[in-house]
Amino acid sequence: MSRRRQLLAYLASRLLLLPVMLWLIASLVFLLLRVAPGDPIDALLGTRAPEAARAALRHQLGLDQSLASPYGHYLWDLLHGQLGTSLTNQESVLSVIGRSLPASLELGVLALLIAAVLGLAVGFSGIARPEGRLDLAGRLYGIGTYALPPFWAAMVVQLVFAVWLGWLPVGGRFPATLVPPSGSGFYLLDSLRAGSWSQFSASLRHLVLPAATLGVLLSGIFDNALRLNLRRALRSDYVEAARSRGLSETRVVLRHALPNALLPVLTITGITVASLIGGALLIEVTFSWPGIAFRLQEAIGQRDYPVVQGIVVVVAALVVAVSVAVDLLVALLDPRINF
Amino acid sequence: MWLPQLAGLPPLTCLPLLACLPLLGACQPPHPPGELVVASRSSLESVDPVDVTTFAGTQLLSALGDPLYASDAAGRIRPRLATALPRFSGGGLIARIPLRQDVRFQDGTRFDAAAMVFSLRRFLALAKVSYLLDERVAAVAASGPFELELRLKRPCASLAAVLSSINLTPVSPLAYRAHARSSLRDRFIGTGPYRLAAFTPQQQRLLPYAGYWGPPTANRGLSLVTLSNSTALFGALLSGEVDVLLSSGLDSDQQKDLHRRARRGDLVEGLGPAVEIGYLTLRSDQPPLANPDLRRALAYGLDRRLISERVSYGMRDPLRNLVPGPLPGSQPASWPAYDPAQARALFRRAGYCQVKGPAPGRRLSLPLSFRSNVPADRLFALTWQAQLRRDLGDCISLEINGIESTTAYRQLGAGAFPLILLDWSGDYPDANAYLQPLLGCRRAQANRCLAGDSAASGSFWSAPGLAAELAGLEVEQGPARQQLVTRIQRRVAAASPYLPLWRVPPRAWAQSWLATPQFDGSGRLVLQALQRRPQRGAAPVATSSASLRKTPSQPGGTR
Repeated sequence: MSRRRQLLAYLASRLLLLPVMLWLIASLVFLLLRVAPGDPIDALLGTRAPEAARAALRHQLGLDQSLASPYGHYLWDLLHGQLGTSLTNQESVLSVIGRSLPASLELGVLALLIAAVLGLAVGFSGIARPEGRLDLAGRLYGIGTYALPPFWAAMVVQLVFAVWLGWLPVGGRFPATLVPPSGSGFYLLDSLRAGSWSQFSASLRHLVLPAATLGVLLSGIFDNALRLNLRRALRSDYVEAARSRGLSETRVVLRHALPNALLPVLTITGITVASLIGGALLIEVTFSWPGIAFRLQEAIGQRDYPVVQGIVVVVAALVVAVSVAVDLLVALLDPRINF
Repeated sequence: MWLPQLAGLPPLTCLPLLACLPLLGACQPPHPPGELVVASRSSLESVDPVDVTTFAGTQLLSALGDPLYASDAAGRIRPRLATALPRFSGGGLIARIPLRQDVRFQDGTRFDAAAMVFSLRRFLALAKVSYLLDERVAAVAASGPFELELRLKRPCASLAAVLSSINLTPVSPLAYRAHARSSLRDRFIGTGPYRLAAFTPQQQRLLPYAGYWGPPTANRGLSLVTLSNSTALFGALLSGEVDVLLSSGLDSDQQKDLHRRARRGDLVEGLGPAVEIGYLTLRSDQPPLANPDLRRALAYGLDRRLISERVSYGMRDPLRNLVPGPLPGSQPASWPAYDPAQARALFRRAGYCQVKGPAPGRRLSLPLSFRSNVPADRLFALTWQAQLRRDLGDCISLEINGIESTTAYRQLGAGAFPLILLDWSGDYPDANAYLQPLLGCRRAQANRCLAGDSAASGSFWSAPGLAAELAGLEVEQGPARQQLVTRIQRRVAAASPYLPLWRVPPRAWAQSWLATPQFDGSGRLVLQALQRRPQRGAAPVATSSASLRKTPSQPGGTR
């Protein structure tokens, strides 16, 4: 089979599997939520309401039916692109996701950029002198960023840059006293499109700390991946062959070793992007960042079934889409890969 | 493999980035003069009174709307949109309420009895807490242009207190015409001192309503912001990012630190009346706590002062009644004070203690459950466990067990917990809002409640004649009612199916250039009263923008 055909077959199989995977995920979430202890009425009313009122609210929200009927409705709605409405405020789940997902993506993209630039820079910096000071510092940096608990790191960053130095806000996505930019939900883009410097700078000020914290924490992955793969590449036969042809070391590294070493990094980037779509829960919660993970955490606490189900299904679909895209990209870039 | 020209350069590129941070800091947006930022922990999914069930929601509604009645700081009910207390007729089954005639909604339409009827019917049809009204009111009608008539299902002496619930605030029939059968999540048109200028779950902006019938607001607007963790809230106040901080959701040690700073004069602190109580529920219909001696022994063995000191640094007041002050009936204390000797005697009488004696008794091993997602509950469990080990270690041993709150609520009515710590805030400022939900019982057998509020609350306790006494609370007025409240609490204390532990007064901390925050009788911050501290020798602070503009010497006003 030709390579192009192989790729198309792979793509087709993944696309065919997508609905099955989504159905499995949707069903699992649906069932697990209902099997788990606690229910929305308790989350909404606590212990305060009389039994009759609880029963009435249970009926009003349709929670007094057996599992089969709501499950059937849920799948039917899902097939029609409907995710239902929130139990807490009757807002459409699509609108909840539409409001929170851009916040997570904006944070994720900037964090990924910081992580890639920082991680690759640190990983590359030690390559000139293996086991030298820079290399050692880079390795320590990689281990350190792995080992740091995200919530602790976030709190320290908050304390230093927001409370002690007062340079940046403690949390939130936009100043309370300004009107946020309207449009796509990506505040940086929306404010640029509106040509509003004050909105852009205000958005950026709120974004810097969470994105930098997340970026630094993720950069260790890139650092380690690049260091290991570059070292392996520099010991390989084709690099030795390039050297023996009299090419300069800079050319050998940049033209021959680095592109090969970056291929696994691309796969790691894909996995990181996929995980960032679901939001970085601890960072979002610590910085009060109103993203999808923050909303999911709230919805789980409130046992808001439709919101939890909707977010999980949408995030799962996006993760699958990103992983397919990354697989295809890697396959296009690396002719050695077979499917 | 030498790359001196490349190695070492990339880390240097980070330095300009770091240098940009203070520059970004300099790009802080200006703080509008006279506007204040108030922070709390809870986000808000809807501002519609029919959806609101949380304290954060009622706090916001209290600035946007007015109830018919309101409780003052001393716990007295005062008319707000009503002009007098309800007049009862028809054997106490009809209540007529005269309304103010000078009130307009924020959309310019007139507030009258028809608007109130629309709002109450909408509440009855849609509200998650519709039971507040539904349990008592059979029908709502307008008996005149400015007179409301409520037909009651049973006499209700606490009707004015019930109607002081901010969830019953009127909304404009014109603005809500399309939402008579659905909630309006992100807009609010009511009669209150502020109008809602912007709403997101994390941020709400309020601007003064120029046509407000009452005294004008003392500030030029507010932004209410949500920060999702205690450290962020604490940091935001200290950095001057927020002007006022509410205590709900703030960790005890941070509250203590803010309290200390306020005593030093770095901040100002306001203290409100406690509407939230913490209490222990004892399952009284199953061994071992079916034995009243053991329940009494636990009551004597609870060192509230020590526990409050260790858990909340004394910021939660020890409580020996179910009704918290300043509500009538909160005095005198009904539950016994800490007395380990008396506790030991009761344990012995029940066959416990004397582990090392010649006739060794048993040691009671008792599971104590707490909500694992409430930090104070965990601290309480650990502290009481240690205190009992110290004082009565040969008589009782507590096995502590954390459970997520919604799971705990779910299993409470199934009788899953012999002993559990919970909290309670009355839906309205009245003794009955604390007694009925814990003691009410539809079906009882001797001292065992088979169905009703007491069973749903997990104690399963009842007593002959108790239902009649609780019903009496809806009939009696004045001193007779207060005596009845005291009598019921003494009776419950003697049986001890519940042990009141502490009351949690709400606090607010503000920057030192602000006046002390004030609370209303429902424990909510009076947002419209937030203002600059009057300068010595200056005229009293009013609503004018000039008086609210920041002077350069005072930090925090520009950001």
